[in-house]
Amino acid sequence: MSDRVLFSIDDAFKQLPPARLPDRSVSGTSTPSSSTFHRYHIETRPTPDIVPFPSRFRVKVKKHGLIGMLLRELIEYKGNFKVALSRPCLYGVFSGPVGGLAPREELCVGCLRCTVQYPHIVQIYPNPERRRLGDSFVKPEYVDTIMYEARDGRVPVRGAGYRGLFGGEGWDGLWTDMSEIVRPTRDGIHGREFISTAVDIGEKPPFLRFDKQGEVVGPVPVMITTQVPFLFDVPAYTNQSKSLLPILSEAARQIESLAVIPIQSVVELSLIGQHLVPLITPDSLSCLDQLSSSPHMLMLDGWDLECYEELKRRFSGTVVCVRVPMDTNLVEMAQQGVRVFHLTANYHGYIGNRFVIDLIQQAHQSLVDAGIREEVTLIGSGGIVLAEHVPKAIICGLDAVALDVALAVALQAHFKGECIDQETVSLSFPRLNMDWGVQRLMNLAASWRDQLLEVMGAMGLREVRRLRGEIGRCMFQKDLEREIFAEHGGNGGGI
Amino acid sequence: MKLKGKTSEAQIIAKHQEALHRGFRTWPGLAYNRPPAMGDARWTADLILATWVQAEMGRPPDNGLEYRVGGSGGGFDVLTFNFLLREQWVPEQETIDTSISLNRRPYDRKIEIPVPWYGAGMSFGSISEQIMQARAKAARQWGTFTCTGEGGYPESLVPYREHMITQVATGMFGVREETILWAPIIEFKYAQGAKPGLGGHLLGDKATASVTKMRESVPWVSLFSPFPFHSVYSVEDHKKHIDWVKTINPGALVSVKVSTPTDVDMVAVGSYYAGAHIIQIDGGYGGTGAAPEIAKKNIAMPIELAIPKVHRFLVQEGIRDEVVLMASGGIRTADDIAKIIALGADGCVLGTTELVALGCTRCSNCERGRGCPFGLTTTDPQLSQLVDPDWGAERIGRLYASYQMQLRNIVRRLGLQSMRELRGRMDLLNYRGKEGGHHGSRATH
Repeated sequence: MSDRVLFSIDDAFKQLPPARLPDRSVSGTSTPSSSTFHRYHIETRPTPDIVPFPSRFRVKVKKHGLIGMLLRELIEYKGNFKVALSRPCLYGVFSGPVGGLAPREELCVGCLRCTVQYPHIVQIYPNPERRRLGDSFVKPEYVDTIMYEARDGRVPVRGAGYRGLFGGEGWDGLWTDMSEIVRPTRDGIHGREFISTAVDIGEKPPFLRFDKQGEVVGPVPVMITTQVPFLFDVPAYTNQSKSLLPILSEAARQIESLAVIPIQSVVELSLIGQHLVPLITPDSLSCLDQLSSSPHMLMLDGWDLECYEELKRRFSGTVVCVRVPMDTNLVEMAQQGVRVFHLTANYHGYIGNRFVIDLIQQAHQSLVDAGIREEVTLIGSGGIVLAEHVPKAIICGLDAVALDVALAVALQAHFKGECIDQETVSLSFPRLNMDWGVQRLMNLAASWRDQLLEVMGAMGLREVRRLRGEIGRCMFQKDLEREIFAEHGGNGGGI
Repeated sequence: MKLKGKTSEAQIIAKHQEALHRGFRTWPGLAYNRPPAMGDARWTADLILATWVQAEMGRPPDNGLEYRVGGSGGGFDVLTFNFLLREQWVPEQETIDTSISLNRRPYDRKIEIPVPWYGAGMSFGSISEQIMQARAKAARQWGTFTCTGEGGYPESLVPYREHMITQVATGMFGVREETILWAPIIEFKYAQGAKPGLGGHLLGDKATASVTKMRESVPWVSLFSPFPFHSVYSVEDHKKHIDWVKTINPGALVSVKVSTPTDVDMVAVGSYYAGAHIIQIDGGYGGTGAAPEIAKKNIAMPIELAIPKVHRFLVQEGIRDEVVLMASGGIRTADDIAKIIALGADGCVLGTTELVALGCTRCSNCERGRGCPFGLTTTDPQLSQLVDPDWGAERIGRLYASYQMQLRNIVRRLGLQSMRELRGRMDLLNYRGKEGGHHGSRATH
């Protein structure tokens, strides 16, 4: 055979820019060397609320009735205080200095034992202040859940069965699958087998091309690997941005993810790090000169071919992502070279009357039909406010999600009316402390990642990359109801 | 209250026991409207109070409490029956048969139960020994079964062994040769609907000395029952499991408890071919001692959608009449039982509803600290004394009586003679789904 081997595989790969990890050096901690195995982990720490959170319940005690009962019981039990003063609450609601005369509402868990035993003396009410949390999409229960996750960094676990509605609209009308017996993973959620939550964001050519000298002549992969499939989206404008943006930036750095920040703010606040994704508009191109380092990823806000080409030219080794509404025709843009999209809907997950589930599926499918899905990365945001929404959005076709309102809730932002889009949203943040805020977001991220592991563990999946677009891994309520109930009729009649 | 000879501790327990019993009795009839903090979409305050009434009186409430459906807005709560005109009802003097068979195969022991349900697996550790005893006593009284769950087989249950199902789950906690030998039915728990694919988890606070002794573990350490069985990768491996218990106890029937993935119908067929007599499909809305909220709400499908899917597939495969299909995970009322049977199950498995009969308010604090403040899902030595097993058995028994009465009434009004005739009769149901209107003919409930 006359043909000589002109290059080795190893040589070819030497030509490629390496897939990059954001710098994770944390002040005061050492970065593991590349030869040391480092299992990804997010450090959590209890981080209590800085603004008092309304208690779940209100405890109303009829004081005269209580005193009367005590006196009666003292007589009945012949002065045995231990018996007469023994109260039903296990959680300390009546354990204050004056017992039930001044109940400690914040300790009440709503077991109702006190009111079952003594309905004429004590009544438990849901705290109406809780009903005022969030807005029509971010329901009070969601706020409660996010607060728990941000406070403790744990997976919300409770006893008894499911308490909510049967399925529902939007994300609630979709159930994820599980694998009963035959499955590749064992005990993934208990850490005995590693489940990867890392995703690759960037340009992924389907193959490499080489010339006769073995040099790569075609496009090469330009990718960033984030350890979690969620990044932090640009927050809606608030007058707290100066304290908020550094928190988002640092938290993203710590969890080895990305934070999208307007380029003016990156410059103004002197934010540094390759975990930052400067958000650029055609008007802010001039700020690029003021960046202190070359970012791993840039995000162009809206489609502008000239601007996109300018960015590609100036930052050849950088991922350039284009941020467009979720109902945009992606194939056309992909034909013009775009390989990373950030698809947006409003904060309630809608564009017009279409919810993100449909929009994501449509975007994903259009790329599948065009035969380029594997080359493109889809990031999506809008309406993703609970941990369960992340795997569902990925199943529908996203590679990763960008978080918005959930981050604000974790930082105890107060909703002033409906929080629908960047232009009209009104959120007020408490006075933010850097360490507190970063830890709250890290806790939230840890909890959401663990919940993602739960969902993937149940499916028997080893990596989140394989979940993308796996629509067979979920069940839609409307499909199942149609399948099960559409055909049968009744035998008529009446009572 | 007699105080003589009682220690202070005994007096405290007696005092609270009495107050609780008084509360269960009087709450449903009090003029305070509904307790404002009680209930949720699935178990409304009405359903909880109505269950207390039934456990007290042995019949459904007649004071306006809604005892048939909850407020979940879907599933059972939007299914209604197409009852016949009154003149077409089966006359009251005719007895309606509510029994079902638990073995429809032509071989092995024949077991019939007079009501179309038995008790769900709840382990020692997740519930107290007193509750296990109460359930066992009620099962014996009614000629049905209850299940050990995966936490061992306390000695106090041995006298009820003809009515106990021994559960074998992935942690193999408390599984011994004699517990297999004692059992008329052995249940393999592959998955649990409330936490499908995630395994069991007893939090450290509830792993007391007595619990861990039974489980051959160490106290105050969380116990995981990992998912799945590490010896089962295929239907053939599954069959080996069944062969294993049948070798030890050839007379036992075998039940297989699985969850509701998208291919639940295939799983059911696989279990049939592996030799199971009973396939228990456990839906996602059932009870549990502790489960991640994300799992309860989002993983796997509800039982109302899984059972018809499985029933149809078994019919298509020509094996429906050789296997018993039991439904569990979110069955709260007699109406739910009738509906799930009309959707294709032979019967159902009750868990949470029995706990509600014993005073559960569905506060969802089962997993924390000492456990349930009502002495149900706890192993705390003091709290567990709040429930006397005889009192508990009576409550469960009266709930059963109420259910049986209601089931007979439903079946009668549908013009049928027995629960067995109702199985798979989806034509007798209407489903008013989310997308407006309803499937089926008329909503008549």
